[in-house]
Amino acid sequence: MRFLYQQKQAWSSLAKKPGFVAIIVSTMGITLGALLAVLTLAYVLIVKPLPYPEQDKLFLVQHQLIDANAKVDGDSFTYPNLMHLYKNQEQFSTMALMYYDAAVLTSHPLQPRFTTTFVTPQWFSLLDSKVALGRMFEQTETLNSYNPVAVLTYASWQKEFAADPNILTQKITLAGVSYSIVGVLAESFIEPELIGAGMKTQVYLPWDYNSVNESNRKTWGNDDGGILVLGKLANARSAAQVEQALTGLINDNWQEKVAGTKFFNGWSIGIALKSLKSEILNDSQQTVYLLLVAVIGLILIACVNITNLFMSRTAEQQQQLAIHAALGAKKSQLFVGLLAQSSQLLLASTVLALLVAMGGFAIFQHFLSSYLPRVDELAINGFTLTCALVISLLLALFFARISLRMINYKALNVSLQSSGKGTSVQVSKKLRQLLITSQVTIVFALVFVNLVLLKSSINTIVQSAGIVTQDTAFFVLGVAASDDDTKLQRSANMQALIMQLEAMPEVEQVSQSSSPLLGFSTHAMSQLGSEKRFSIKAKDVDHKYFNLLQQPLLEGDNFSAADIKDRNKVMIVNDVFARQLAPQGSALGLTFDNELTIIGVVKSMKVPGKTDIPARFYYPSSTGRNMMLVKFKAGQSLSTEQLVKALKQVSSQFSLFSYSTLQQRKNTLLFAQYTTAITSAVLTLITFFLAAIGVYGILSYATGMRRFEIGTRLAIGARRGEIIGMIIKDNSRAVLTGISAGFVVLVALYLAFTTQLSSYMQAGLLVQLVITLVSIALISLFACYWPLRTIINRPVVYSLKGSD
Amino acid sequence: MNNTKNAQNTQKDIKIKMSGISKIFETETLETHALKDINLTIYAGDYVSISGPSGCGKSTLLSLLGLLDMPSGGDYFIEGENVSHLSLDQAAEIRNSKIGFIFQSFNLIDELSVFDNVALPLRYSNQKPSDEQIKQKVGQCLEMVAMSHRGSHKPNQLSGGQQQRIAIARALVADPAILLVDEPTGNLDSKSGDQVMDVLAELNKKGTTICMVTHDPRYADMADKQLKLLDGSILQTPQAANDARKVM
Repeated sequence: MRFLYQQKQAWSSLAKKPGFVAIIVSTMGITLGALLAVLTLAYVLIVKPLPYPEQDKLFLVQHQLIDANAKVDGDSFTYPNLMHLYKNQEQFSTMALMYYDAAVLTSHPLQPRFTTTFVTPQWFSLLDSKVALGRMFEQTETLNSYNPVAVLTYASWQKEFAADPNILTQKITLAGVSYSIVGVLAESFIEPELIGAGMKTQVYLPWDYNSVNESNRKTWGNDDGGILVLGKLANARSAAQVEQALTGLINDNWQEKVAGTKFFNGWSIGIALKSLKSEILNDSQQTVYLLLVAVIGLILIACVNITNLFMSRTAEQQQQLAIHAALGAKKSQLFVGLLAQSSQLLLASTVLALLVAMGGFAIFQHFLSSYLPRVDELAINGFTLTCALVISLLLALFFARISLRMINYKALNVSLQSSGKGTSVQVSKKLRQLLITSQVTIVFALVFVNLVLLKSSINTIVQSAGIVTQDTAFFVLGVAASDDDTKLQRSANMQALIMQLEAMPEVEQVSQSSSPLLGFSTHAMSQLGSEKRFSIKAKDVDHKYFNLLQQPLLEGDNFSAADIKDRNKVMIVNDVFARQLAPQGSALGLTFDNELTIIGVVKSMKVPGKTDIPARFYYPSSTGRNMMLVKFKAGQSLSTEQLVKALKQVSSQFSLFSYSTLQQRKNTLLFAQYTTAITSAVLTLITFFLAAIGVYGILSYATGMRRFEIGTRLAIGARRGEIIGMIIKDNSRAVLTGISAGFVVLVALYLAFTTQLSSYMQAGLLVQLVITLVSIALISLFACYWPLRTIINRPVVYSLKGSD
Repeated sequence: MNNTKNAQNTQKDIKIKMSGISKIFETETLETHALKDINLTIYAGDYVSISGPSGCGKSTLLSLLGLLDMPSGGDYFIEGENVSHLSLDQAAEIRNSKIGFIFQSFNLIDELSVFDNVALPLRYSNQKPSDEQIKQKVGQCLEMVAMSHRGSHKPNQLSGGQQQRIAIARALVADPAILLVDEPTGNLDSKSGDQVMDVLAELNKKGTTICMVTHDPRYADMADKQLKLLDGSILQTPQAANDARKVM
């Protein structure tokens, strides 16, 4: 009953101050919502177990190809080593093989592109998968059984097959193979995102049909990034023991097999285990920590602002509190009254915060699903609610406590007797200075970090790639695997397609090459003469590639049409590789054990979003290559329908696997930078906005408290400039202390995240530092002057009114 | 006695002269004539009291005299200089150099020591006196009000009477043309009030020009010129008041 009475009184008191309520609920609701969203993200990524049985025993097996200098050259499996491991290992109780790929679903009228994963049957048991329809892979799909069946994911069944109840009677054709659909996975199945956040399989196919070509299946030196191995540790085996045992198993066999290959002299294989959870988390942990720091900074600023508002309100409520005290209310009873008010405000803030958090989850899921793993699992859960309630309760207690501390209980009666004159409740100067210092500390650290991130992101975004990506598109054709007889036909079709496209009025030029913004393959080779060994990034391109992209040739010759037609043994290197090969002279004419000879040197291009430029070389592409770059005339383009029509005119066998502009690809590659730039810019603005309100609030209150003093000074002859100078001087100490503390916070952050932050600690930080300091100075000056203007720009008598 | 003093006044310098001064306070719906056609002359060495009922315009008049506010009409001269239309900063300079204020609630600055409170007008002075000059001048003024021994104290360590004496020292420190005193005993007990009034009387004897607002007729009588205000107008001239008292 008493509780209800207190709540009713608090509600009635707050209802008279809608502005105060609105500011607190909106400020706290938004910032607490952001905190809850990021805390929940941190919980899901870092703390929450994976949704698989005995998830702590699940490990990915990494195959490390170690060169003669003990440097890891690659961490993907070679196919023969994979098979040797799968057939002979005894360290894992269960082991599954996966191969990630994509193909055009040619049996579907719209011919959509499907992400496919070739798996052994253990994949489903390791992840405790359930089916909505049919079955998973079983003994009938074990290695070398070649049973063409498929299992759809629930989302694919819903989206691509309109949840057809007769799906199990249907077949799908991918890369020329017709598969019978035998099952649909349950909706509850959560796929571990192993090849990138947001990458989801649409259809599972038996391992036997993976697209590793016959040559690579037998080659002991070529690794393939599409292969992954997942295993569950057998009982009583540690990861280190298993790594040691498997390294012996694989390396001994491999050494025997490559003994005749000179290139691999001194090389070895190491097997490393990585827990499934850390593989999924990847480097997202740092992103989450940075986000946490940012939102904690925001909520601290909000708390300082709200503390100030609560204190001002307590000062306002002095008379009312005095009446309560006069009627016998104890200090603890006053506290309960204040707590009822702060609790109601925090309760309303929490409701808003939960809505904001849900909005945050939607943003994460919509915009960051390809950047952060497990965002699909984000939802208001027990953890979110517990955090919301605990934080709200603590804040409610804190604000009530702060308000109570301001009340000099013994002076309340005196206050009543003097009708409010003389002994007013005041926020002490020390506390005001502390509030300003804490605001400036947080603002300085947060704004500086955000500006550094913003500048770094913008630098990366605007940095030239060294090629022209305007009006250029790239497409990949879906073509079935071909034998020797059809290769000539395929090549002829490709050339016909190029002619068809180049005849279109929109098209300026077509190059039968891979996109410059797609990955480069890695080639191991030795330089003849010096016998130096290199592991170099490479791309196959035709004679029109460099001209189409306007990538400058620095030395030597471009590929000729004959080089492409005859697949001559020539190569063009980038200037980075040329300098490695011939630091003082020319790399032209140098030859390698793959019989390629350097005929030209091009200026390096930079892949957007990457910080380094590796050594690269280019070699002639095949005339049957299924990838093409299309340069359009200025302002022109081709729609997907136009392109598909052109393909079908040349060959009904052609399907469009993917089609996008280089600008779209560039934007995708720069997604992280765009996200960082937008997030840091928004955070900077919010921080400044909150800080400006906060510091203004504190100084406005402080100036109000000093009105008579300022009036007195004016009365005895102080000029306005002198008063402004005095206020600035009085607050500069708190601001400077805040800036110094901000420096300390930054140094601490740098020491804690040295690895992640070292790339940002470059020349140019001075600009961000100056901008931060100037911005804080402007906010402080504004906050000093603005509340003062009403006092100093009016006749002095108004400031002295009420002083008697 | 007053005839003699008036005769002497014609010989003395005019410190303050107001002619046709008015003050109107305006709101969106209301226009209040706080002062109407005020004509007033204060000579060097005068001790003038202003009294009248609440709301008659005493404080408004004192505010105009002290350049704390600007008149709506009329002319105001301090030592012959027209100060009716000054900017805020120009008014501040005049206040600093020619006017000393003593407030009812003392208006000492709690965070400053007694010495620094008294020195404050000198710190704002255009003359930019040296620290040594300030020390000397503040010392003299504190001595004048018998508070030299309290220079390092904070105002809240002093009694009300002592605080008002410090306020008097502060008002005197820049050698103003006139002291404007607003209910100097309003916040003091009678003993302290008497002591403060004694100090003011002593200062006037030594030649300081004083203009004081007071409710207390006992203290108003201590002045040699008394102005009575009613509804924004001067009701009686000092001379008429004196004559009236004689008849009674």
